Amino acid sequence: MAMTLNRGNIAGMLRLLGTTGAHLSRATTRRGLVPALTRFQSSPASYVPPTSLSRPPWPELPVFDPEEEGRKHQVVVEKVKGLIEKGEYGRLFAVVHFAARQWKVTNEDLILIENHIDAACGDRIRMEKVLLVGGSDFTLIGKPLLSCDLVQVHATVIEKTESWPMVHMRFWKRHRFQKKRIIIQPQTVLRINTIDVLPRLF
Amino acid sequence: MTARGTPSRFLQSVLHNGVGRYVCQLKRISLVFSKKGQGSLGVRDFIEEGVVDFAKNNPGTVIYISPQSCRIPKIVAEYLNGNVKEEMVTNKTSQQIAELITKMSDQSGLDIIRIRKPFHTDSPSIQGQWHPFTNRPPSIEPVGQQKK
Repeated sequence: MAMTLNRGNIAGMLRLLGTTGAHLSRATTRRGLVPALTRFQSSPASYVPPTSLSRPPWPELPVFDPEEEGRKHQVVVEKVKGLIEKGEYGRLFAVVHFAARQWKVTNEDLILIENHIDAACGDRIRMEKVLLVGGSDFTLIGKPLLSCDLVQVHATVIEKTESWPMVHMRFWKRHRFQKKRIIIQPQTVLRINTIDVLPRLF
Repeated sequence: MTARGTPSRFLQSVLHNGVGRYVCQLKRISLVFSKKGQGSLGVRDFIEEGVVDFAKNNPGTVIYISPQSCRIPKIVAEYLNGNVKEEMVTNKTSQQIAELITKMSDQSGLDIIRIRKPFHTDSPSIQGQWHPFTNRPPSIEPVGQQKK
């Protein structure tokens, strides 16, 4: 399970940013200047003078440090755990996989399935393939799915109807050829009732 | 006619159906048939076999049986939002009529026209709409070419 924090942990994120900034400046001096000089003295790789495009426009990232990354990850996990336990996530949304599609849903949404499903009207169903759950300040991303005891998405079948008659017309001009086919597809409307996150991360 | 020229609507439900509990939207159904006509044979069979079971299973629906001297038997369904739908059932068997009535009770009475999007939401964005500075560290300098 991967995690991202968007806005919430201001203090923690700022502290992390400060440390990464220091790393970044050190890494640029170490990587950017010294090897270039040595390369120039020994055997020049290119005689083209450096321009604004000879380097990628994004800043050079520091070397990957597993301990530092683990520490950051732990901070983020603790923060999200606290948010979930206190219930300070506001409205939740989820991305569920249903009827061969991925739907971004939140409470009281309607979704339309272009087929009949094996449940009667008024039945409450649970969507178990949850790919992502997000609150106002965090997002939990599954790899590829979130576990069933972490997230619960419930929906109600509110309508089982038919689509409008779609006309498929084939016409070949000057050949006396035409075919007309009218297709009516069964449809199902679902209402998303609840999205629950249970406070057991890992 | 292309699909764009047809009437359309967005996905909706009647009075937030299903948010609390589900309410069957079929209010009243009347079976209009003839006592003697050959085309009404299936309707008479259905009235003998299946109409009591349907009424027991759907306590929220009123069923009227009205024998008239008519050539074309029909089923008139009235929904809670006021829409009325008529279906001709000439020469249909009782099983076909049972399926038709089940389909009518599963529908919500909204117009069956092209639906523009397969989803509807009242809160389209929870984390805020994306803009170029989302998930970026705050900086005073203008965004552009990185300094050497």
